[in-house]
Amino acid sequence: MLYVVLFFLMFSLYLYILLGGADYGAGIVELFSSKENQKITKKTIYRVMGPVWEANHIWIIILIVILWIAFPVYYNIMVVHLHIPLTIVLLGVTLRGVAFVFRHYDAVIDDSQKLYDGMFKISSLMTPIFLGMVFGALISGKIKIVEDVSTLTFYEAFIRPWFNVFSILVGLFFAALCAFLSSVLLIGESEKTVSKIYIMKASFATMMVFIIGLITFIYGYFFQYVFVQDFLQNGYSITLMFLSGILLVPLRITIRKGRRVLSRFFAGLQVFLILLAALISHFPDIIITENSSINLLDNIAPDSVIKVLGISLIIGGTVILPGLFHLLKSFKMIKILERN
Amino acid sequence: MENLDAARLQMAFTLIFHIVFACIGMVMPFFMVVSHYKWLKTRDKIYLTLTKSWQKGVAIFFVTGAVSGTALSFELGLLWPEFMKHAGPIIGMPFSLEGAAFFVEAIALGFYLYGWNKLPEKFHWFTGIIIGVSGVASGILVVAANGWMNSPTGFDYIDGKFLNINPIQAMLNPAWFTQALHMTLAAFTATGFAVAGIHAYQVYKKRRVELHKRAFKIAITFGAIAAILQPISGDISAKDIAKRQPVKLAAMEAHYNTEKGAPLYIGGIVDNETQNVNYKIAIPGMLSFLAFGDFDAEVKGLNDFPLDERPNVAMVHYAFQIMVGIGTLLLCAGILYFVSLKRKKWFTNNKYWLLFVLLAPMGFIALEAGWIVTEVGRQPWIIHKIMRTKDAVTPMPGIVFSFYTYVVVYLTLSIAVTWLMLRQIKVLNHSNS
Repeated sequence: MLYVVLFFLMFSLYLYILLGGADYGAGIVELFSSKENQKITKKTIYRVMGPVWEANHIWIIILIVILWIAFPVYYNIMVVHLHIPLTIVLLGVTLRGVAFVFRHYDAVIDDSQKLYDGMFKISSLMTPIFLGMVFGALISGKIKIVEDVSTLTFYEAFIRPWFNVFSILVGLFFAALCAFLSSVLLIGESEKTVSKIYIMKASFATMMVFIIGLITFIYGYFFQYVFVQDFLQNGYSITLMFLSGILLVPLRITIRKGRRVLSRFFAGLQVFLILLAALISHFPDIIITENSSINLLDNIAPDSVIKVLGISLIIGGTVILPGLFHLLKSFKMIKILERN
Repeated sequence: MENLDAARLQMAFTLIFHIVFACIGMVMPFFMVVSHYKWLKTRDKIYLTLTKSWQKGVAIFFVTGAVSGTALSFELGLLWPEFMKHAGPIIGMPFSLEGAAFFVEAIALGFYLYGWNKLPEKFHWFTGIIIGVSGVASGILVVAANGWMNSPTGFDYIDGKFLNINPIQAMLNPAWFTQALHMTLAAFTATGFAVAGIHAYQVYKKRRVELHKRAFKIAITFGAIAAILQPISGDISAKDIAKRQPVKLAAMEAHYNTEKGAPLYIGGIVDNETQNVNYKIAIPGMLSFLAFGDFDAEVKGLNDFPLDERPNVAMVHYAFQIMVGIGTLLLCAGILYFVSLKRKKWFTNNKYWLLFVLLAPMGFIALEAGWIVTEVGRQPWIIHKIMRTKDAVTPMPGIVFSFYTYVVVYLTLSIAVTWLMLRQIKVLNHSNS
């Protein structure tokens, strides 16, 4: 049953990065567009994301709930030491969700749209950066595990774990990844003339992912980050990374040929490989702290809890996944059919 | 401000908002579905306009409820890490099921909002039903988790360790049913009266009277039925609390000394120093009867409990008085509505509409007061008799800043949502009229 729970944990993490990420990315793409293109993007985002974006963000709730039920120690370290970035993520999620609804459901269209748009774009960029910083903090080796947190200074316990160059780089990396996912998605959702914009955005985002990724590794290598060193010594991780890079070729071809589903599949697969490479390089030690590594498999809830959670996840999954698939499919398919 | 106080205030503050959003998001789909049903039956355009306008309300409240709910799922850990470390695995069951129910609701909402003219009519209508049912299910599950804090079961507490955890037993704790029943009825009462009140105001102002009258009727029917049933659930809750958390009952009634044939205090001002309740109305033997079904039964007083195990008596007592007072008022208003169905000419009297306008916020005031009774009444415990709230709070100092940020953000958001709703109604009134 533990493996069922682990599967769902990874599954919801992946889906959140993929679906939630594409959702954040849409706002980032809009932010880095010219005025004219912003209008087009806004309309496209509403059409594509409107029916599904709430569902996309529920993955993070599932993720958090699995964490606190099955891996309470892990969750405890996160909420204590990363209180500040998590709070900022929350505020970002809140403002972004509200801005999305306001700009599309407000009965009157007037100047207040500018405010909603601004809120939407800024929070779309900031939220994934801080979320990425949380991921970064967990592997940065800057968290210090002690019996009594009050023996540490405020800076040591609550700032340094996430406010460091490495974590910030991971944050930027994640934001670039979101923009990449979203522009690939948007290519397939727009008219020929418009899709050129998103092809450009996708290329630009790919470059950003690559450059920031490279800087992160170089920085991590020279400043001897355990995560980076282990990653570079792990044959599997390197291979997976390499595969993910190679996939850019079929991605380009499918985009040029206008194969929507296949290009999305490749982009999703690339992100999957990157995530897998990162997880595998240290598994099962998921949190790397200053004085120890926290093994995901060592600090779990009692068997009875894992069993019940596993069963609920299986039942929930069988109810939700077909419905979600149908939702994603119906609206995308309907739109594509309508246009043709 | 102490860290503990700041954390409690932040939790209370976000919950107060979330409860309103969540209740409306949970109950309004039912109004929408009824109106939608009438549109399908009668093909009367007014019902279609009403359904579409309510669906926007549902969408807006669903999202605000969802984001404030996401915030809460994090805040539980961010503010109370020690609590979640131990309680998380035990009460995970209702939360994971709630996650699933909520997911189903989001999927159904996606279908419903974007399904007009695309999905088969009956299936489209049915997705509306799913929104409502899964919303209520989520509500019940979250309340079950709260019930566990009041009546922790499903584990053995040995030497400060939680052993032999049984998550199903924890979910089906002794308090879950009474609390869930009371809360579900309260959600229907509060939302019913609030939505009815908004439409009553439009009738009062003579704007699109036909539409708003129909909207009023649908909403108030739900609200009135729930308000009439609520006293039964209240009675079950009172008897349950008398057994399980006598100190909470004593605080609700500001009842200091243990006695047989205890009187019921209505109103009054609590003086904690002299242990007196001044200016109250006392009904002899009534508290004993309500708590145990026997006028002579012994009711435990606050003085039977150590000082550091008592909640803030005045706050709990006042909140309880407000809840019961408003509950009674809405019960009468509910009966009045059903009487008015027989006396059609009341509908032409503007004072009738004004009355329901004034009642609009009452349900929610009672509902919040009720939560103050449960939550403040549980103090100083975060897990009744197992863990104190002060031992669960985060070690991170400066929570007060996070509290202020939340206050600013949430207040701004509520002003914005209210403003958005007003614009919605304005546009509705000017369309096709």
